[in-house]
Amino acid sequence: MERFWEQCIFKYLRAEPEDHYFLLTEPPLNTPENREYTAEIMFESFNVPGLYIAVQAVLALAASWTSRQVGERTLTGTVIDSGDGVTHIIPVAEGYVIGSCIKHIPIAGRDITYFIQQLLRERESGIPPEQSLETAKAIKEKFGYICPDIAKEFNKYDTQPDKWFKTYDGKNSITKQPFSVDVGYERFLGPEIFFHPEFANPDFTTPISEAVDSVIQNCPIDVRRPLYKNIVLSGGSTMFKDFGRRLQRDLKRTVEARLQLSFELSGGKLKPKPIETQVITHHMQRYAVWFGGSMLASTPEFYEVCHTKKDYDEHGPSICRHNPVFGTMS
Amino acid sequence: MILLEIKNRIIEETLLHRFNSPKPESIDITVADFDGVLYHISNPDSDKGKIRVSISLKFYSDLKAHGAEELIQKFYGDYAVTPEDGYDISLQFDYENLPANKEEWAEKAALLKCKCFASVFHKYFQLQRDGKQDATAIIHYRDRETMYVSAQKDRVTVIFSTIFTDDDDIIIGKVFMQEFKEGRRGSGTAPQVLFSHAEPPAELQGTDALTGQNVGYITFVLFPRSFKDEAAADKTVNLIHTFRDYLHYHIKCSKAYLHCRMRVRTAALLKILNRARPEIKTTEKKTISGRTFARK
Repeated sequence: MERFWEQCIFKYLRAEPEDHYFLLTEPPLNTPENREYTAEIMFESFNVPGLYIAVQAVLALAASWTSRQVGERTLTGTVIDSGDGVTHIIPVAEGYVIGSCIKHIPIAGRDITYFIQQLLRERESGIPPEQSLETAKAIKEKFGYICPDIAKEFNKYDTQPDKWFKTYDGKNSITKQPFSVDVGYERFLGPEIFFHPEFANPDFTTPISEAVDSVIQNCPIDVRRPLYKNIVLSGGSTMFKDFGRRLQRDLKRTVEARLQLSFELSGGKLKPKPIETQVITHHMQRYAVWFGGSMLASTPEFYEVCHTKKDYDEHGPSICRHNPVFGTMS
Repeated sequence: MILLEIKNRIIEETLLHRFNSPKPESIDITVADFDGVLYHISNPDSDKGKIRVSISLKFYSDLKAHGAEELIQKFYGDYAVTPEDGYDISLQFDYENLPANKEEWAEKAALLKCKCFASVFHKYFQLQRDGKQDATAIIHYRDRETMYVSAQKDRVTVIFSTIFTDDDDIIIGKVFMQEFKEGRRGSGTAPQVLFSHAEPPAELQGTDALTGQNVGYITFVLFPRSFKDEAAADKTVNLIHTFRDYLHYHIKCSKAYLHCRMRVRTAALLKILNRARPEIKTTEKKTISGRTFARK
């Protein structure tokens, strides 16, 4: 790890660590011991003047402030972080992660790529086998989107193939021969596995919207409304067009069905207050965590909440176990 | 990576990406570099078709006195423009009219800081070649750290002062510098290096050079061989101007390595300690027939 940091700081950032305050990020559920260990390396080996360790989910929330559909800056919300390997759903209340309610979904970017690769293999010939993975990845990134309804979407493709079918042009890396692939249903079927995981993974059948719902239902009752109201996307695999809209629609359906049920169970006497469900998409989704970090680190408040070298020398690494929340002022 | 790279990777990659992008995009990036240098890549007057790279150096006035501007003008030609407000040098590229060899120019732009430094060295190399002498150049390249360059009859001396913030750094730095001194034995053409700790070397007596426990002075004596032609001079400049960062980089890395080893040893020791159980002394020992020994 030290070597990795050496290269980061001196080769890419080109900064003398003695001159700069550092903001590091950690995954949710990181152990406090790890934080201490990190602080030890940063302060003792690199002599940094100040250090703050932020949780990635919180930074992703902060990044969503840029394109708020609502004007308020809050650190309460549900973060859906989907990268290449695994998707996390992390509820955050007032800047603190509700660790016991985090859920992981084994469906992420790589699974979509494999799924598309499989579809292409069954249908299309002409892709050089050693390049089929990268072709699938390129198709996913270039043409993938999320449709509101699969049956209708199939229909659309069948009636107007010219409009919807696309071609992907690649180049064989060995023979340098160009090849082209027709891209059809893969466009929406690939990302669809978020909502129908059984397509790709027979062991796992919970759609992402249901998973989000159950995460929020697990949380303490007083934060559920704000969690529904502020669902933030982060990570490369949430970049598909209309991902947010579909998620919001599905989630809304589940929530409203539940409210309707409780209305009926009460015999029509109790009318529950409707729950506002909102999924927020923004331009910085791919680098949301990085962007949120950069945004918070450029506020003057950052220097106040950092642990300084002086504090470290005084109290030891244990001060880095806790990093105060900041940036919520409106 | 034994030597630090002299170019700034972020600048190079950003520019190359912009040069190769199919349509002009807006850009506004601030990038830091060693020694408190700040780069700013932006579109002047929000015109997407133009890309401006500006650099700000705290010690630019020192460099200016030694012909930094002329060198920049010579090296970058028409791309050097009037500096942006708050910055010292600006380069401007027009999207419609990009240089033919994009890679080369992106790299050149990434060398901006290096070229600023180069002016001082080139000036003094020239002075030495002409056999002239001039007052010592003093560059305050960091807040409390200074570089002195002077030309004598047969050599050019470069002295760096540097500050160690940590006590351990001083010791590691000393060992490291010791190796540099020894370096001459390995290769006869290496320039002579002197290291003095706490006290400035004799050349700087009587100047405002800092003294103190945490200050170190490193003197390079460059003989004409090191700057006999353009290529050799460039190489010397490239190596020497990153020297301070190079030294601190290696101190940090050595420290990280030492700490890593220390942690492994502690963990191993703890493992042994945890395994060790004190022997239970109170039990009575019996022979096979059931008798006990009474120790007397």
